[in-house]
Amino acid sequence: MENVKQNNSRNALLFIIGLGIIIGVIVPIVPQLVWAVSHRWAFPDLLPEAMSGRAWKYIANPNSKVLSATLNSLVIAICVTVISILVGVPAGKALGMYKFKAKGAIELIILSPSIIPPLAVTMGMQVIFIRMGLSDTIFGVILVHLIPTIPYMTVSMAGVFANYDPAYEEQARSLGAGTVKTFFLITLPTIFPGIVTGAMFAFLISWGQYILTIIIGGGRVITLPLLLFSFASSGDFTLTSALSIIFLLPSIIILVITSKYLSGQSSGMGGFGNI
Amino acid sequence: MKKLMVFAVLLLAFSGMLFAGGAQEESVLFEDRFMDMSWNDIVAEADGQDVFFYMWGGADHINNWVSGYLQDRLKEKYNVNLEMVPVDGAPVYVNKVLGEKQAGKNTNGAVDMMWINGENFKTMMQGQLLFGPYSDKLPNIKYCNPDILGYDFGFPINGYESPYGAAQCVMEYDTEYVKTPPASIGELFDWAKANPGKLTYAAPPDFMGSVFVRHVFYYVAGGYEKMMGPFDEAVYNKIAPKVWDLLNEVEPYLWRQGKTYPESSTKCKELLGNGEVHFNINYGPDGATNAIRNGIYPDSVKTFLFDSGTIGNINFVAIAYNSGNKAASMVMANEILDPEVQYHAASPEGMSWLTPIDLTTVPARVRADFEALPLDPSRVTTEELNTHKLPELQSDWLMRIEEDWQTFVLRQ
Repeated sequence: MENVKQNNSRNALLFIIGLGIIIGVIVPIVPQLVWAVSHRWAFPDLLPEAMSGRAWKYIANPNSKVLSATLNSLVIAICVTVISILVGVPAGKALGMYKFKAKGAIELIILSPSIIPPLAVTMGMQVIFIRMGLSDTIFGVILVHLIPTIPYMTVSMAGVFANYDPAYEEQARSLGAGTVKTFFLITLPTIFPGIVTGAMFAFLISWGQYILTIIIGGGRVITLPLLLFSFASSGDFTLTSALSIIFLLPSIIILVITSKYLSGQSSGMGGFGNI
Repeated sequence: MKKLMVFAVLLLAFSGMLFAGGAQEESVLFEDRFMDMSWNDIVAEADGQDVFFYMWGGADHINNWVSGYLQDRLKEKYNVNLEMVPVDGAPVYVNKVLGEKQAGKNTNGAVDMMWINGENFKTMMQGQLLFGPYSDKLPNIKYCNPDILGYDFGFPINGYESPYGAAQCVMEYDTEYVKTPPASIGELFDWAKANPGKLTYAAPPDFMGSVFVRHVFYYVAGGYEKMMGPFDEAVYNKIAPKVWDLLNEVEPYLWRQGKTYPESSTKCKELLGNGEVHFNINYGPDGATNAIRNGIYPDSVKTFLFDSGTIGNINFVAIAYNSGNKAASMVMANEILDPEVQYHAASPEGMSWLTPIDLTTVPARVRADFEALPLDPSRVTTEELNTHKLPELQSDWLMRIEEDWQTFVLRQ
């Protein structure tokens, strides 16, 4: 009897949470889907007056640069994510598992880009990037996107490693596994949810970057947010909505693919802890 | 051994510097020799160059024209590669060039050509960020009336910009609610008092809100003449208090009782489109045409001018001081002023653009083409625009008006 009651109240809670997610996340997207194919949709009307494929025709026209900008955004975001993982995992391991001299200071340095507002340093960064010949290149844009993404990656990995139990590795080694085998069979599966979380942050931060891209890429490197901003500021809802849908797609795809890694806890780790 | 290595490295670095210095002296910069070049020399040098054209990218029909018609034409005719760079406003590229100057990147900058006007032009001139004077070297500049080449918002141009298009304010109204448009600011305000809540304007310093308030200044002063030239405190003090009184008097009859003003002209367009207000001021006579085409306005929106006229100006292109493609940029600036290109820009297949060229100077055949262009139902005729054109105030007037509006109207 008690159990049924508990189950009922748990179901009700899940239902409310689910409803909240639907209202908070999905409902706001619906008008965008409609706008993207509307010709005119005036304020009190429930439905658009007429439909139009104008936005999609514009997007498909290579002159509009929407497709090439999307490709640029993808290439940059993927490179940023991969580099963030390569840097963030070892850094997170060092911060999470080991004690060493000046650890606090190093933590602060690594975290500082997420504490200092990027606008405060962009002008200085622009000058340095120009002097090094990195401005107006995709490579330069990838580098500058790493500034905000690496702290996120490092912190989420440090959290993982702080709760990581090295005894599992020792056990594998004592059963005869080599370094490589231990890494792929024990370490990687254990820390994988952490990598997924950090990588998601890194990808989305890079994908949505506007200021850093425009300062360092300087218009030579055109990404999707740059085009989106132009139309958003001009009040063309149809085109803004159509571009927003393209802009949202990766986030949705990533969320669907990664959600299963985020829910469960793996045995080697006790959840996200503190550094 | 180690010492020897260090020495060798230093020697190499030093000779590298010498070489770099020597190479720079060898090729004289374009800006130092273009004055002595013939136009044909400039066209020859432009062959194969790129032009990165930085522009506001918020209108699909303009983007399409630049990266379609204009790009194809420059490629075919001159082998110049035009690359459109659409961004969300001129400050982006002003800062870009400024940043490069601060970093010492004085050659081969990212920006070649820019779509620019007014305040941003002044900022770039004061920062010495533009290349020029170049406009009198352009053969097609002869199609422009010299009157439009003198000042941009009162700031002397001195050949550092060349015209791209023309713009003139028009009033937009919804014929579904308003049968006869008012003939003056006074009549407009009378209408507002009879129809409370159906008029508004964007809060200055919004570009459009600011130009609306300038029209009120011209109305109160009984013309623009007294306010021409640099800022004059005595003249201003005679006119401004009457303007603030007038604006405060009509305020309770504005949208939301004038307790708040729309923050941007985009918002004002939305209000007109939704039927919440029935008037709007727009900078281009074709603005309503595009808004109808894009579904922002209903088909019933039309445009009109005040009897005393509306403020008009020219928008320009300019070349960055550190562009590595100045020859090609000049070729593009020249090609933009070609009557054939302007005709295409003015046509509905182009941008329904208002041309800055003087139609009395172009060949009769081209003029006939221009005159035969179909007029969108929402448009006033070009002739009406030309006969109702008022000059723009200098930017120090603008800044004072915008500041005082905040004090005497918004916070009153």
